[in-house]
Amino acid sequence: MAGDSIGGGSQVALVTGGYDHTIKLWQAHSGVCLRTMQHPESQVNGLEISPNGQRVAACGYQHIRMYDLASANPDPVINFEGITKNVSRVGFQKNGTWMYTGGEDCTARIWDPRAQPQTRCQKIFQVQAPVNAVMLHPDQTQIMVGDQSGIIHLWDLRTDQNEQLIPEAEASIQDIAIDPSGKVMAAVNNKGNCYVWALGDSPHPVPRHHIPAHTKYALRCKFSLDSTLLVTTSGDCSAKVWRAGEWSLVRELRHDSQRWVWDAAFTVDSRYLFTGSSDSYARLWDVEKGTLEREYCGHQKAITALAFKDQAV
Amino acid sequence: MATYDNKIWLLKNIRDAFIATDDTGLCEIVMAGEDFSKIFQNKALEEKKCLRERRLMQPGTSRAKEGIGDISEEENEREIVTQYDPYPDLDDSEEDDPIYPGSSYVRNEDGGPRYRTNTTIWLDKKEQALKKAAKIKIIKWEEPTTPLTTEQVTEYFSKLEIAKPEKHKSLLAEQIKNCPDLPHRQYLEYAKFDGTAQLGMPTKSFKIFMTMLPEKHQNYPLVVCVIANAKIKDLIGFTCYKYSIEHPEIILGSVHEYGLCIAEDDGEVDWAFPCLDANEPCSKFGFTCLGLIELKHRAVVCPASIPIPEDGISGAFHVFSKVVDSGQSNQNPSRHNTGGSQTSEAVLSALKAINEDKRASGDKELSKLQSHILATEAPQYKAYKVHLLRKVRTNTSVQVGISLDRIEIEPLVTHKHAFWSRSKYFIHSIDSVAWCQILEAKANKTTFRIVYSPSHNATFHDRNSTGNQTFFQPNQTYKVHDFECEHDVAKEIVDRINTILDLRNSPCRREYKAAKERKLQTRRSFHTKHIS
Repeated sequence: MAGDSIGGGSQVALVTGGYDHTIKLWQAHSGVCLRTMQHPESQVNGLEISPNGQRVAACGYQHIRMYDLASANPDPVINFEGITKNVSRVGFQKNGTWMYTGGEDCTARIWDPRAQPQTRCQKIFQVQAPVNAVMLHPDQTQIMVGDQSGIIHLWDLRTDQNEQLIPEAEASIQDIAIDPSGKVMAAVNNKGNCYVWALGDSPHPVPRHHIPAHTKYALRCKFSLDSTLLVTTSGDCSAKVWRAGEWSLVRELRHDSQRWVWDAAFTVDSRYLFTGSSDSYARLWDVEKGTLEREYCGHQKAITALAFKDQAV
Repeated sequence: MATYDNKIWLLKNIRDAFIATDDTGLCEIVMAGEDFSKIFQNKALEEKKCLRERRLMQPGTSRAKEGIGDISEEENEREIVTQYDPYPDLDDSEEDDPIYPGSSYVRNEDGGPRYRTNTTIWLDKKEQALKKAAKIKIIKWEEPTTPLTTEQVTEYFSKLEIAKPEKHKSLLAEQIKNCPDLPHRQYLEYAKFDGTAQLGMPTKSFKIFMTMLPEKHQNYPLVVCVIANAKIKDLIGFTCYKYSIEHPEIILGSVHEYGLCIAEDDGEVDWAFPCLDANEPCSKFGFTCLGLIELKHRAVVCPASIPIPEDGISGAFHVFSKVVDSGQSNQNPSRHNTGGSQTSEAVLSALKAINEDKRASGDKELSKLQSHILATEAPQYKAYKVHLLRKVRTNTSVQVGISLDRIEIEPLVTHKHAFWSRSKYFIHSIDSVAWCQILEAKANKTTFRIVYSPSHNATFHDRNSTGNQTFFQPNQTYKVHDFECEHDVAKEIVDRINTILDLRNSPCRREYKAAKERKLQTRRSFHTKHIS
């Protein structure tokens, strides 16, 4: 247990949040909860660790809050205010210059946490339906905005122009993922389907594949850091890992007590996967073996978001 | 409506008036901030002191010259009015203390604040919330009024080169490899009862003494905080969970093997009460000190074997057969008819062992000791009927059993239905007994005292001992039992115990003697210092 500080900057950090209005920081390898942070008045819809690993951003109903990971402060250090509805996703620009969010007020926003309001580069992108997913392209110039009407808007941050994709009619886009190499984009919808596009070769995304990933509501999709695996999580109580390129099922991760799987994250070597579930447990799976390695218990209610920052050695 | 120009008076008045509905928030700042009236009061006192000194320095104007030098210093002080006094002639004592009309402007120099409970708590909360809020930076969304300039766009939204994905080794994977299964995993399901950092959920904290562990691991209680609706079995599980995280080297058993009993502040379990019902919510119980016990230990109160003493009387000997506790009464059936002086087999074997030892070593000292034992018959088990003196409750009739290895105090009368008169059953290893002496000889009774150290009971793994009061505390705690009986019996008991104690000369006794000696020394030196 020794040799691991409280999830400070350079260390491995696992953060979970959910319906119990708390955010928990875990010692990932032992499964011990190191700290609990308060997220009053709202559930946690999304969590993202800042690129320098010092802070974690949490979004919820009317709130976006930033917490210090290195200190023992249970309260946020920054509150982002002025939003009247649920914020569904939060993310950071690669260098940490700005932050982006998407929410049920049918907008995607760029936030600039720096002090002077005059020099802030705030930006807003309005769509017609509540936004469920926002995903920044690895080249940092485009944000994919997925909404409840089933449209994916490709918002160009430099020109403010946008392009639309409608993979399936009358199906709400639940999550969008782009692989770290920027070549593939995947989106899941409330019918449990996963759509894959090729990016980069042509100016527009090229539809490549359709995976009937789940029989129920899909909730998240995420690529592994080496772009070889894609995980989709769902209300069918499972997380499924797919081999990128072939789009074949590598592993179906289920557990008797596991319920809706809301979020997932890979380790940098793509060997392990974290999942967070409605049964209030987060789990660590060995993807290769398909075994359950660790369980993280401490939340009173469903875990709906998790963030993980690994360290390469 | 009145206007006041004394800001100190105003500040004081706002604080004392407990205004809680001021929309401007100014009153809140005054109330939550520093108590100016106190600060000013101190300043006023200081200034008064200065002024008084100055007056005394100026004999021409001093009152002493005018023949009022007999005025008391206190009154003198009252008469001096400084700029820090809030309207001294209009002070609230005018209305508050009508009984003392003569001292209408005399303020309470102690400045004792009025007792404010709810308001204070409310204000504290408010203050904490304000402090908390002050630490949080707030960024409000502002609608972008002017579009970003091209420079800004290129600065903030420039295209970054996508790095080629590399194969990384994960630090987590390495940590997992180096950290195989952990003992707390078996209690993981109880982790969710953690009450720390719960928002808006009632919680309850307990001090849990891990009495089922060896003595060296139970110096400090484990403080656990669980959510209030956790059941006792959840509390046991969470205690095991927390303990196994903090002490992964100690292996605990299954949650079902343990029970929680009421314990005293010092961690001694009250064996007179049964374990708390595992299926009841912990919020139901008012006790905060609990002892975690092994359920099977409740059945067997006395351990079967006695450890071998280290002080020369070697040889393994079993003293008494395994004693099984009959439910809750803590009666010891094998002891009931041992009033007379019978030599137990154990003592015989002990003596035999001593003899063998003597033959082997040829130690003359030991030979002397042995003859002494034989002469006094001290090591034989003998029981006496005496009264155990208590500080609070009535004295109880007990049977004190003394043997070479232990002293047992067994209640003779048990009122099964009156819990307050229920006495405990004590058993002390002789190595934990430090001292025995006659305290006082009254007309027909004599009181005597046994001093023992609970921490020296370690090797005895006995969880029943408890004491009345802390007696002496140089490095460790000693506790005492006081008894009362007839002169002869008291003398016999004290002699017997002292003979055994001298014979054993246990570390506990040596420490106690040394500490006592030190105490005497310091007293003496203190005394001589004062005389000189």
